[in-house]
Amino acid sequence: MPVIEVENLVKTYDGTNVVDGISFSVEEGEIFGIVGPNGAGKTTTVESVEGLRRPDGGSIRVLGLDPIRDRYQITQRVGAQLQESRLQDKITVGEALDLYASFYDDPADWRSFLDWLGLEGRVGTRYAKLSGGQKQRLAVALALVGSPEIAILDELTTGLDPKARRSVWDTIEQIRDDGVTVVLVTHFMEEAERLCDRIMVVDRGFVVAIDTPTGLIDRIGSEQRLRFRPSAPVDDAVLAELPEVTAVRRDGAQVEVVGTGNVVHAVTALLAQQRVIAEGLRIEQNSLEDAYLALTDQEITEEEG
Amino acid sequence: MMSATMGITRSETKLFVRDPINLFFGLVFPALLLLALGLFFPGFDEPAADLDGARYIDVYSPIVLGLGIATLGLVTLPIILGTYRQFGILRRLRTTPVHPARLLWAQMIVHLVVAVVSALMAIIFARLVFDVPIPESPVWFVVAFLLAAASVFTIGLLVGAVARSTTSGQAIGMGIYFPMLFLAGVWIPRDLMPGGLRTVSDFTPLGAAVQALDDSWFGITPSFTHLAVMIAYTVVVGFVAVRVFRWE
Repeated sequence: MPVIEVENLVKTYDGTNVVDGISFSVEEGEIFGIVGPNGAGKTTTVESVEGLRRPDGGSIRVLGLDPIRDRYQITQRVGAQLQESRLQDKITVGEALDLYASFYDDPADWRSFLDWLGLEGRVGTRYAKLSGGQKQRLAVALALVGSPEIAILDELTTGLDPKARRSVWDTIEQIRDDGVTVVLVTHFMEEAERLCDRIMVVDRGFVVAIDTPTGLIDRIGSEQRLRFRPSAPVDDAVLAELPEVTAVRRDGAQVEVVGTGNVVHAVTALLAQQRVIAEGLRIEQNSLEDAYLALTDQEITEEEG
Repeated sequence: MMSATMGITRSETKLFVRDPINLFFGLVFPALLLLALGLFFPGFDEPAADLDGARYIDVYSPIVLGLGIATLGLVTLPIILGTYRQFGILRRLRTTPVHPARLLWAQMIVHLVVAVVSALMAIIFARLVFDVPIPESPVWFVVAFLLAAASVFTIGLLVGAVARSTTSGQAIGMGIYFPMLFLAGVWIPRDLMPGGLRTVSDFTPLGAAVQALDDSWFGITPSFTHLAVMIAYTVVVGFVAVRVFRWE
């Protein structure tokens, strides 16, 4: 059952449609990713869902409610972390959580968050003294302190180092495992690929694609490339005869085999049969990043061409 | 929701007190200034011929209270509100069930309480060190003080309503603060101002405030004009501030 339904959302600033007819729905319990270049309309879209912005067209239902008209109920049931929002320098972690907990009818016991958020022992620490990762995990805690059914996280990991980013990822997976639906705005494809059940790619206010990460990658071809140095001579023609293989190339001692489907298994099985060892074997697949670049580029070419 | 307002007020009080600059300028500066003037200016606590036999310390006591209110309302308040907007704190509150207006109320309450404590300190110092009387018309004095705080704080709220950041809150606030202090008699006491300038002063909230405080301090009922000026500023500026206030 969808918990968020957006149809034909339009938002205009200074005569330009920043969001130009975006439609999507988010299912209960999933991690739904929104990716796209800067200025694509990602933040405007989620802020409309949160009720911070009044749409100029289209309709939004969140948990069956209207984010503008049923504002109070929405704020009770949807937790948000905003892009570029921070707390007072001198407020402590515990004070901030206590304060935000006092805003809700049914607050969560925030002390139970501290452990898995990696904020244990930080209750008395002032905001200004927290590391970037700790600040972001506190933002997550504040988004969850009202026991929301939906958490909307906007560029949660921007500006974090890779280690802090990975620890925030674990946090997000934990939230979903606790039954909260997560909407995640990001521009890190690695993050979207790792976390999201489905991803919406937006560009210039339009939806370019909505699919699973694998589904998006498959759209640009599920080609895989194997590179290796055979321990004994191999006949290219024999490799090329495998039905999964589409091309065989050589670069000095290196063999590169391109194929689809179960090509990795087909090639390694053939080599094993011929008692050849594939030394330095490397397998390359298209990543979500390749898919993202192809999808958003395609949009530009379509518009310009 | 009462608990949320109380929670915000408690939290904002703690944050205010944790800032040493707020504590110094908002809380203890008026008392210190009075002390310094009285101790270091020769003849400050003796009858002066150009004040018709009044003492400078008597004239300056209400001015210093006005200065305290102005510092809180036109310097501290706009800086805090500008910072909160810049940090997205007001915007973040909008995603919670608590309306960010509660944060504004909390700030007004905190500033009012600090203003009262600061004024009490100055009054006690003036009494103990320089024998300035305790305000002789206490009811009018309280009325004058509350109206002074209301009119100046709503101006600070208006500045905070439009200030996009800490620095713009500071710049706009200071731009109003210094002319207001001048017209309130901080540099030239109102008694020594030329007639035209004193009339201008009468129609500024701080000028009216200082005169109403002065009158009630020495047992005179404040003039209707001065009270009306403060009420008018509170209502008109407050209305405009609420209309133009943006949460982000």
